[in-house]
Amino acid sequence: MLKIIVPTIMLFPVTWYSNNSKIWINTTSYSLLISFMGLSFLNQPNNNSNNFSMNFFSDPLSSPLLILTMWLLPLMIMASQYHLKKEPWLRKKSYLSMLISLQMFLVMTFTANELILFYILFEATLIPTLIIITRWGNQTERLNAGLYFLFYTLIGSLPLLVALIHLQNSMGSLNLLTMNFWLKELPNSWSSNLLWMACIMAFMVKMPLYGFHLWLPKAHVEAPIAGSMVLAAVLLKLGGYGMMRITIILDPTTKAMAYPFLMLCLWGMIMTSSICLRQTDLKSLIAYSSVSHMALVIVAILIQTPWSFMGATALMIAHGLTSSMLFCLANSNYERIHSRTMLLARGLQTLLPLMATWWLLASLTNLALPPSINLIGELFVMMASFSWSNISIILMGLNMLITALYSLYMLITTQRGKPTFHTHNLNPSFTRENTLMSMHMLPLLFLTLNPKTILGPTL
Amino acid sequence: DRTAGRWRRDWDGKVSEIKKKIQSILPGGAWNPLYDTSHLPPEHSDVVIVGGGVLGLSVAYWLKKLEKRRGAIRVLVVERDHTYSQASTVLSIGGIHQQFSVPENIQLSLFSASFLRNINEYLAVVDAPPLDLQFNPLGYLLLASEKGAATMESNVRVQRQEGAKVCLMSPEQLRNKFPWINTEGVALASYGMENEGWFDPWCLLQGLRRKVQSMGVLFCQGEVTRFVSSSNHMKTTSGTEVTLKRIYEVHVKMDHSLEYQPVECAIVINAAGAWSGQVAELAGIGKGPPGTLQGTRLPVEPRKRYVYLWHCPQGPGLEAPLVTDISGAYFRREGLGNNYLGGLSPEEEPDPGNLEVDYGFFQDKVWPPLAQRVPAFETLKVRSAWAGYNDYNTFDQNGVVGPHPLVVNMYFAAGFSGHGLQQAPGVGRAVAEMVLEGHFQTIDLSPFLFSRFYLGEKIQEQVII
Repeated sequence: MLKIIVPTIMLFPVTWYSNNSKIWINTTSYSLLISFMGLSFLNQPNNNSNNFSMNFFSDPLSSPLLILTMWLLPLMIMASQYHLKKEPWLRKKSYLSMLISLQMFLVMTFTANELILFYILFEATLIPTLIIITRWGNQTERLNAGLYFLFYTLIGSLPLLVALIHLQNSMGSLNLLTMNFWLKELPNSWSSNLLWMACIMAFMVKMPLYGFHLWLPKAHVEAPIAGSMVLAAVLLKLGGYGMMRITIILDPTTKAMAYPFLMLCLWGMIMTSSICLRQTDLKSLIAYSSVSHMALVIVAILIQTPWSFMGATALMIAHGLTSSMLFCLANSNYERIHSRTMLLARGLQTLLPLMATWWLLASLTNLALPPSINLIGELFVMMASFSWSNISIILMGLNMLITALYSLYMLITTQRGKPTFHTHNLNPSFTRENTLMSMHMLPLLFLTLNPKTILGPTL
Repeated sequence: DRTAGRWRRDWDGKVSEIKKKIQSILPGGAWNPLYDTSHLPPEHSDVVIVGGGVLGLSVAYWLKKLEKRRGAIRVLVVERDHTYSQASTVLSIGGIHQQFSVPENIQLSLFSASFLRNINEYLAVVDAPPLDLQFNPLGYLLLASEKGAATMESNVRVQRQEGAKVCLMSPEQLRNKFPWINTEGVALASYGMENEGWFDPWCLLQGLRRKVQSMGVLFCQGEVTRFVSSSNHMKTTSGTEVTLKRIYEVHVKMDHSLEYQPVECAIVINAAGAWSGQVAELAGIGKGPPGTLQGTRLPVEPRKRYVYLWHCPQGPGLEAPLVTDISGAYFRREGLGNNYLGGLSPEEEPDPGNLEVDYGFFQDKVWPPLAQRVPAFETLKVRSAWAGYNDYNTFDQNGVVGPHPLVVNMYFAAGFSGHGLQQAPGVGRAVAEMVLEGHFQTIDLSPFLFSRFYLGEKIQEQVII
């Protein structure tokens, strides 16, 4: 693991000591190299875990998420170049330092061996994200958004700390490798229900679950592009990853306690998809679509069957890439028109045809078009939930329909139609933007050819 | 004892400040922890409308009405003077007529008349009292001499084609209908029978403000001092190079202070009335070699017009329409106390620097033709007078509507040279359609686009002499 962590830490001197004109190229290329190095984690022998040290390990569940995180850093840096153009050098370097420190914490989180280490780094990722949202966000509402983001997550995760310390006392060790072999079941009492709630709530708020999702549209809309990308692609998956790890020791309690959350998810999935149909702000639409997709992941994790875990992992990776790409597309619109309202940016297909291709591909993967990995994830989750309860297929089917509706609505409103007068002088797509989109799309398309890399530990 | 009272007052002030701070922190408010920013406009707005008079508010109203989802577009109206002390809207005499020669003008007026007639359906706000526009549907009476009779006939034909109810009257019929008129020198008169008259512009303005605020449009008191724009050098299909600009930030300066707020915007609408020319210059319209599109200014300037109020007990009765004499002098009845309003477009333009009234102008230029036309006016007594600006379009005295070809996101709704108030609802709808749909849908105002200044295509009213 040091072969990833030390180069990531060394990215700090790269940003601060580089020649001013070269900070972008240096950080982008070195972070790209680090992500290529991380591809070696995909070599998972025998479905077992790779143990790198006493503190870090990687596993067929964590390695795809790890690679997604590392892949995203060069993309985030490329996407931020435009809106940071006019800032002084010190501020640009601080922004990059925030991104790099966030990356470092995320890498360590996904590979943490021990749950307390995981918890500390989980909380630590909040700080750079909060700084990015509140300092570099676009509007006055960003302070409000930062507040919501911070306090929702903190309040959800404080009980988790208490629960983890209690578990450490009772189990002796919270090492994820030995937790797999923990045979003692939780006793059937109110205190284990509370323990279950304490452990799960942090991740539910992070995912987010439908009832606790208020922070997400605010944070996504107010964050600058790199903040939105990392929030949508990786930080939401922290919740999923954490839930998959911790449900191992929460065994029989999950069967009873999960019901209300499953109901909330199934209902919330349809609710948030329907809200997407009525959105006028592009980023807000993509944020609510994230909530809807993550609700599927929560359903999968709470059902706890091998197929659902495969679906959850696949869906997390697929959604990470798709959502991040949609945010980049929305940002390319915003940089040209200076407004996030969909109505004001119509008919872009005639003006920017290549960008229209990326819009089309992103919308198609968002609505889970076969044979993309989005579909594989959703399909596995649907099949598992059907076997859990036959009626859920009605809700899931309705959700897939509404997802298709709003993805196409977004595509048609922005791309088709007659272009307006005030889009006459749009800058044509920069190479940087096209590279950004293709670097999101190509992994998605290539994974369609070999999805077993991302199907997780229960393959 | 005095110190205790002062202490309590200080404490009350402190408590209200703390309450304000808590309210701004609570979810839903824009919170700036360093200082109070409630008087500043938001940092971002999709559409910024420069000018809060009847045209600006009409555009805001139709933008909000025609948006397909509720809350789709964020609109900010920037108005320099919330008392509207110099705005043309409230200083106008409030007349509406369809007796134009340009068909689009007639259509706009007809739509406005139906808007005003149904104003309490258009501008209804929950729990607010209905509006009373005090619309006096008494019509306009235009008089023509021998020279202008042919123009008047052709004008009336166009008006009738568009659906306006105007009739032609001979001097004999005039004398029968309006016995107080002296028909010497009058060969023909056109009288509007329906949808013409006058109303209270202040009431329309307040109604629009109320409705527009209930629809979610933000108001800001401030002056637009700067447009920050980005330029793109592009080539047209024929190979000529052209520089297209896009305004992405509007600097709104607060009153009596140096504080300004940059508002990031996608579209700017210039509805600044008499000062539209200045606002257009801020955006760089007209900065270029003369004779090119870059060098074509927005030819709108403020022109001062006087309105006089006099009392004449023997004057025309309650059925008197707004009479426009051959000389250009006009008058109408005001209220029920034998008061009349009137004026004349001066040949020598007075200095538009201030709004001072020249009573000598009334004595020399306005009273004689009025007294000749209506003998009862020989014994009138001027009660008061005021002056207002006319956003005069020096090119062809008709409005400018639609986008600018080079500054791609600035739309105009200005320059109506005295008939802005009566055409405001129609123009507002046209501009909103242009912004939201990309073309005019209901009334086609393409002759009113900015490009006519460069191409030299005048749409002038046929003036009746």
